[in-house]
Amino acid sequence: MIEKAIPVAIGRVVATELKPATPHQFHFWTSIETPIGIGAIVKVEGFGAGGSGLGRVVYGVVTEGFAYSDLATPLHDVVGAEGDPTRPAAATARQEMRYWTAAVLRQTPEEPLQPVPLGQVYLADDADVAQALRMDTFLYSATPTAIPVGLYTSAGRDAPVYLDADFLLGPEAAHLNISGVSGLATKTSAVEFLLASIFAHFPAHKGRVAALCFNVKGPDLCFLDQPGNLSDEDRQRYERLGVPSTPFERVQLYAPLKADGVNLNTLRTHPDLVGDVEPLTWGLQEVVDYAEVLLNRDDIDAKADAFIDFLRDRVLGRTFDDGFGTTHRVQTFADLDRLFRSIFDGLEITAGGRSDTWRTHHIATMRKVRNRLLNISTRCKGLVTDDGPSSDLPWKEFEDRTVYVIDIANVDPLGQDLVFARVVSKLREQLERRELGVDAVVVFVDELNKYAPGDGPDTYVKKMLLDISERGRYLGLVLFGAEQFRSQVHRRVVGNAGTQLFGRMDMDELATPGYQVLTPATKSKLATLPIGELMVRHPHFTQPIFVRFPKPPVLRGRDGVERFPPAADVPFEDAVVRQLVRLDRRVRPNQVKDLIADREQDDVRRALATVRRTRPDDVLAFFRKVLGARVDSEASRPRERLAVPPLNPISDEPY
Amino acid sequence: MTWWHALIDAGAVAGGSGLGVWDRGETATYDTSIVEDSELQTHPIPPNPQPLVPNPVSFLNGMERWSVVAYDGVAQIVNAYVAVAVCRRDDRGVLHATLERSRAFAIAPVGRLSPALRALLEQGAPDIEPVDDALVGQPARYLEQVESTVRRARAHLERELADAATAALGADEWLVLDGLLSRSPAVARHPRALGVIKSHGAQFLEGRGLERALTLPAGCRTSVFAVRGGHTRTEVYSWYLRLWPWEGNDLLYGLLRVEARADRETVARASAVSGWLWAERAPLATPATRWDRLLYPLHHVEEYLKAHAPRSPAARSRLPVA
Repeated sequence: MIEKAIPVAIGRVVATELKPATPHQFHFWTSIETPIGIGAIVKVEGFGAGGSGLGRVVYGVVTEGFAYSDLATPLHDVVGAEGDPTRPAAATARQEMRYWTAAVLRQTPEEPLQPVPLGQVYLADDADVAQALRMDTFLYSATPTAIPVGLYTSAGRDAPVYLDADFLLGPEAAHLNISGVSGLATKTSAVEFLLASIFAHFPAHKGRVAALCFNVKGPDLCFLDQPGNLSDEDRQRYERLGVPSTPFERVQLYAPLKADGVNLNTLRTHPDLVGDVEPLTWGLQEVVDYAEVLLNRDDIDAKADAFIDFLRDRVLGRTFDDGFGTTHRVQTFADLDRLFRSIFDGLEITAGGRSDTWRTHHIATMRKVRNRLLNISTRCKGLVTDDGPSSDLPWKEFEDRTVYVIDIANVDPLGQDLVFARVVSKLREQLERRELGVDAVVVFVDELNKYAPGDGPDTYVKKMLLDISERGRYLGLVLFGAEQFRSQVHRRVVGNAGTQLFGRMDMDELATPGYQVLTPATKSKLATLPIGELMVRHPHFTQPIFVRFPKPPVLRGRDGVERFPPAADVPFEDAVVRQLVRLDRRVRPNQVKDLIADREQDDVRRALATVRRTRPDDVLAFFRKVLGARVDSEASRPRERLAVPPLNPISDEPY
Repeated sequence: MTWWHALIDAGAVAGGSGLGVWDRGETATYDTSIVEDSELQTHPIPPNPQPLVPNPVSFLNGMERWSVVAYDGVAQIVNAYVAVAVCRRDDRGVLHATLERSRAFAIAPVGRLSPALRALLEQGAPDIEPVDDALVGQPARYLEQVESTVRRARAHLERELADAATAALGADEWLVLDGLLSRSPAVARHPRALGVIKSHGAQFLEGRGLERALTLPAGCRTSVFAVRGGHTRTEVYSWYLRLWPWEGNDLLYGLLRVEARADRETVARASAVSGWLWAERAPLATPATRWDRLLYPLHHVEEYLKAHAPRSPAARSRLPVA
């Protein structure tokens, strides 16, 4: 027979006319030596006057603490010490007390809602924590939806705290926002841990889940498949939370190529790991649908939109007569440039410069659109190819419990916007059609201060983030956003996040109106929060709760770069060899080098991209075949140039 | 310049701005004899940054509370409460209650009450202190009698608890009482018991000795003198000790009278004990009105007792009841 320990009261509720107990707040005192601190969860079992509170149990979280002595005025202490602060302490310690304010988390019974009775105060145990945070409803139900977020460790306890998957990943509420100062590795670590927790506890009845992370700075998310160094304490926490302390089993990392078209633009280029990185390259077809991303606010007008629509609907991928005697089939940026030149030449030469309109589109509009579209192939060379096939995410084949990382840390900001816009749009589109391969996708975006600022222009990316925030939960498209200054992120993005995490915060940030609901003590705690601790707000929790989460089971970016130093860029031939060998270990380097000797690099790149996309059984034979054949879309016509130069990529000219 | 400023400039000591203070209560004159010097002298307490403070020490204090709760005609029926506690100071300087005793009782002129009320009183308040029925017609004297009855009950309780506390004292433990040591022979003869008296209604000295005692500078004590016991008292040794400067206040400001066992050892260690009590000035016993003479631990015991005492009926609102 298990005997339950009899709980020992650690305090007593007191209420005065000046500081009464209310239905949402109460005050209690404890002895001087108490494990209670800010954030501790307590339970009040009331008796009240005449037993009026009997049967009522109140759970609260400590939000403020005070220490009093019976010293009437500081002057009395000065007099007692005769003005000498070095005087030894008095033989008798002054009567002193610890006085706490707690915010009510839950009352049972919940109706009628009444002021907290004058009862005894106990430390909350695991079951009390579950009750206090209303976790019992989703933790002990027939179809539990509990996702561990950390351990409640105040007052020497070690109780798991869970989030409700229905409120974290939809459909009831969704999205998570995490704020905190930079440099403590808290935000990224917390998201990594939480993803591991989601993968371990996402309920089967809710289907399949994947995560897509944009790595926007350094090597932060480049080593999610590599084990990190965990302490025994961390392992115990993992065990307590029921989350495996192992790195993610399935990680797919995508990175664009560098300008040379063969070396990967990522910090995960160590020879032992680079083989797992998939190139991410897009061509005209992939880019043109998101042309709006490339246009700034001044560019957005009906005319440009109309011309882009015209190109999209009537020109791209079709045989098209430009009206000046030339037929085009536009599939690449090079094809598009030829079309534009043909039109401009036609207007200049054929029409004798008398007309500045082509198919109702003004030449200035066309020049502007041409500049924006072709600039991207220059600014994001490596991500966007002038011509040739693309290498993309496995659309429609997303796998359960898989993390897809897109490393765009070293990509031009415009390219980052493009990647973000296209990837999120595709996710949304395929989730709407239920053809992505998973039922829910967590999209992790760091640096929301940059991508969804509260002020500044309405960029395409900001609009997309707003769209995810406001409608994503119905689709299973869940935004996990992180930023340093929550107050400076668009309020609808943070406001729609059902779950909010806070790491150590800057005092200036805490002084902003968004934190007015927190007590000074809670703010102080937030400003000094150690690494690995978070304050959590969740729809089920009526008050913020502090939790501790274990170090993520993966290699941190900085450690990863030290353990797996990035390799230097290799010469073109060697890079081609490396990519082919990765696809087929039978490929001999010398054979490849002989094959590509004296060949145009663009031809080799196209052939390589075709091999990557096709993934044939005999890689070398297929490579030889596509390299020997005409890979260009217009085989019959000699190439005019090796690459498409921008018209004026750094010009101040508005178009 | 006022005329009194002229006096002060000429050598008089400035007084406080109040009405002047002399303690009420006992006003008897006692027979004393100087046992330390040939005549009463002033002894500065030797400066010692680390005074020898015994450890552990227990402190005994009591409280009383009474109020008229009912009238039968002009007969006033009183509800009284007295309590006494001992708190021991631990190594960290924290006080813990170790002994506690209280008594709640009624005071009434039982013979002058109507039969019905008397029956109800005797049924509801088993502990009744009778008062002389003849005083009922003199309300002022009646209340003086009530006050002395309550004080006597408190003194009795203090004596009982002091006896119990001294019997339970550890080998090196001291007991400091608020009030007379000499009420209990056992306590008065204990080598580690001190009485600290802050009321000075009783007069032990006269002439030059009295003047020296009442104008004692802060940080000084008088010579030790023996206090002859009356019919309720055991002989003890005593001396005056000034904790705070009286200049600018009144003659009794910061003045304590200490009682200890009538023994040569008491004389030998009077300065050391005075140094200890001098060190007990901090923390100040504020906000007590007599903080200048009240040691903080004794104040603490009193506060402890007040917190435990039943609510005073006098604290009820005097607003008319609807």
